[in-house]
Amino acid sequence: MPILQTDRRAFLAGSAALSALVALPGRAADSSTLMAQGVAAQPMAAGATPPGRLTFHGIDIYHGSTIGTLKVDIAMQDAGSYRVVKTFNTAGNGRSDGALFEGDTFKPGRYELTMYVGDYYAALGTKLPSPTFISRVPLRFGIADARERYHIAVLFGPWSYAYYRGS
Amino acid sequence: MAGITTHVLNTVTGKPGVGMRIDFSIQEGDGWRLVKSVRSNADGRTDDMILKPEDTKIGLYELLFHVDDYFRSQGMALADPPFIEKVPVRFAVFDTKQHYHVPMLATAWSCATYRGS
Repeated sequence: MPILQTDRRAFLAGSAALSALVALPGRAADSSTLMAQGVAAQPMAAGATPPGRLTFHGIDIYHGSTIGTLKVDIAMQDAGSYRVVKTFNTAGNGRSDGALFEGDTFKPGRYELTMYVGDYYAALGTKLPSPTFISRVPLRFGIADARERYHIAVLFGPWSYAYYRGS
Repeated sequence: MAGITTHVLNTVTGKPGVGMRIDFSIQEGDGWRLVKSVRSNADGRTDDMILKPEDTKIGLYELLFHVDDYFRSQGMALADPPFIEKVPVRFAVFDTKQHYHVPMLATAWSCATYRGS
């Protein structure tokens, strides 16, 4: 789907200045810092490629807000199997605390995030059957071009989840 | 009805996902034992139940949907590696008298699953 990809990149570049501000909702301090520095600290002219990075947002659609802390393992595929390279807890409202990987640390390849949804609801005291319908949720995705921004957006509940490439 | 069933939907076209390979596994110890590989039929469902009620036990199960191959079969060129490739869905059966319908709604850039009926 080369045409769609080109469109996507053009869209990202075109909205780069906006993305720099809106990609971090919930982190008002950072946003205002960016504003104060006038984004000019990292000028992104039209057509320029913003630095690639991976961010995450898990939204608890059962409570309508990610009121707890979600633990997530990040694994990368290596010689056919997935190896955990990092574990993080979500910060404000289900988001990763900034970029999980950025610039040179962000590598193309096959990733698997494991969301500890069972533990999340157990910690909140949500009444569910045992074993819970979903507990550790694997989210696999491929990164073809690590110069792009990949935002993994997940809508989850005790009985469902959806994930997509956000922005 | 009890047991396990699935249904593949192509949410780009709004039509059933036909001919998608689905691998069904059962968790045993720390690993997964492949039970069978099936393909979705013309309605996006499988001709036979994934697991019959009498064979269903309390435990963890996995459906692995070969979403990338499906979209390639539809003539779509995917990134390398594709964003959505082979998607595992892991879920528990907590009451063998209940029915577990676990659909896959997929595009090349997103997927969703839920306990249906």
